[in-house]
Amino acid sequence: MGTAPASRDVTSYGMGLAAPLALFFLVFFVAPLLQLLWLSLHNDTAALHWGLGQYIHFLTDPFSLGVLGSTLLLGAEVTAVCLVLGFPIAWLYQRVGPRLQTIIILIVLLPLLTSVVVRTFAWIVILGRQGIINATLQSLGIIDTPLKLLYTQFGVVIALAQVQMPLMTLPLITALGRIDPNLDDASCSLGAGSWRTFFRIVLPLSLPGVIAGCTLTYAAAITAFITQSLVGGGQMLFMPMYLYQQASTLQNWPFASAISIIFLLAVLAVVSVFTTLGRLSRGFGGE
Amino acid sequence: MILNRRSLMTTALTLGAMKAFPGLSYAQARPLVFATFTGSWEEAHKAVLVPAFRKANADAAIVLDPMLSVDQIAKINAAKANPPIDVMLHDPGPALIAIGQDLAEPYPVDKSAYYKDLITEAQEPMGPAPFFQVVGLTYNPEAIKTPPTSWADLWKPEFKGRVGITNLNSTLGTGWLVEIAKMRGGSEANVDPAFKALEELKPNLAAVAANPGALATLFQQGQIDISPGNFNAIQILKARGVPVEFVAPKEGAIAFKTTIHIVKNSPNRELAFKLIEASLSPEVQTTLMNPPYLIVPTNSKVAMGGEIARVLAKDTAELKQKFVFQDWKKINEQRSAWIERFNREIKI
Repeated sequence: MGTAPASRDVTSYGMGLAAPLALFFLVFFVAPLLQLLWLSLHNDTAALHWGLGQYIHFLTDPFSLGVLGSTLLLGAEVTAVCLVLGFPIAWLYQRVGPRLQTIIILIVLLPLLTSVVVRTFAWIVILGRQGIINATLQSLGIIDTPLKLLYTQFGVVIALAQVQMPLMTLPLITALGRIDPNLDDASCSLGAGSWRTFFRIVLPLSLPGVIAGCTLTYAAAITAFITQSLVGGGQMLFMPMYLYQQASTLQNWPFASAISIIFLLAVLAVVSVFTTLGRLSRGFGGE
Repeated sequence: MILNRRSLMTTALTLGAMKAFPGLSYAQARPLVFATFTGSWEEAHKAVLVPAFRKANADAAIVLDPMLSVDQIAKINAAKANPPIDVMLHDPGPALIAIGQDLAEPYPVDKSAYYKDLITEAQEPMGPAPFFQVVGLTYNPEAIKTPPTSWADLWKPEFKGRVGITNLNSTLGTGWLVEIAKMRGGSEANVDPAFKALEELKPNLAAVAANPGALATLFQQGQIDISPGNFNAIQILKARGVPVEFVAPKEGAIAFKTTIHIVKNSPNRELAFKLIEASLSPEVQTTLMNPPYLIVPTNSKVAMGGEIARVLAKDTAELKQKFVFQDWKKINEQRSAWIERFNREIKI
């Protein structure tokens, strides 16, 4: 900013090239969203009477709020698992030779190349009663009766963490790659231990990647209808299934619309917390 | 022919426009559009019903557009005056919704050659039932040596942690709940006894599947050994070598009518009628009754055979005696409340 106005400002760009995508978004995203909002502001399924009934119904109902809460919590758990498991991989990536780098990137990307449905079915096979985990534990004599892993919160978190892992690892790899390795050495030569270097230098500088990864993983985890319903089963209700039930089985579109608007706002709130953290983190870089 | 950039561009634009606005190419008449269900339904209809219809109607053009009942209703509602679908297929719940929203045309019963041959339960003036779906008990014969005989067997202590059910999103889940209510003295209007029974079933429950299809996976993985199940779904699993068997419980197997309707304001009313006639005909129903389809016929002129005769019923009389039909008008009235209650109470 602050450049003197020239005959043609070189820092500004024509918006023409973005117009097709903008138009596409306007027609296929903004318009349906407005329609959704309009529909949610009706008290009856035929959408004849205006009112806030659907929102009041949801927000005063402990059960619905519980579903929202457990969905947001599920996202937090999955994000935490992805972060804890993904960070070392990303860190390792920056410190190994090119051949190992190729292998790591392949391992990270491989899940993205198979469909979510296939990956989720694989988890059913792994977590099932006669699945890999139970069979191994039983043959080692650690347990007598198979553990119940499928259709539990634990199973959903683990499966989702694996399914969404690339969304966390890729931004982390990029962020860690931008850190000047000399900073590590400088910190060490000034007398800081490895943990101190990690917490004072590496972690703060990689925060933009952490934030980006967390946002992506979180959003993907809470909306993952397929994995949630296949590994979680029919008695664990999360927002996507709740929405599906109201819209598809019960044909209660106004309530379903209200659920999606509330869900959207809740997710936006969480994402904006992440971005605020990101903005604060910029202070760490000393810029 | 010389292709230059301009002519390529024009062709591409025209093709694109035809794709984007199919109305352009069907300005005069569009083919008959039949919204069947996805999966094995589509396969069966493509292989048997469509060829039979075309043979009888001078190769009339027909398009299968498989989609869920809800989507059919939504699509027709969006363009009631000029519906994009001519013939729709529904489970009992959605059928009543479609009729309630005035989307179905009364079936021209007087003109029909086969309507009077249908068993009484299949004779629906707003759209007859060409097929039944049957729900009974499914079990793994390798784990369960004595075949179950009654819904009540699900509560046996020996099946602790071995029972699977589905939630009420599906026709199967809701229908089953009503049947359990009836077994315990309730009815379509009162499912309280069923919820009490579910509470007692909890120790036995290994899984509450999100949809009937997920039950199949659970059988394959040994996660469950016994569950309520759809006769046709079980035959598909059996054909793939999964150890499962189907029995009709002594209380009666639950039969759902799959009804077929002419869409109101359809521009192809006559062809739609012909397609439905074909689906009611003994020839089509006999073919669909045989492997690999094993679809339960509704035309009383069809002689039962094969697996259907073995496990379900040998003839129409026995079928009527062994099948239980439910009042979906009553069920629809309270279904959303039940789903809500199920959401809240069934946590394992």
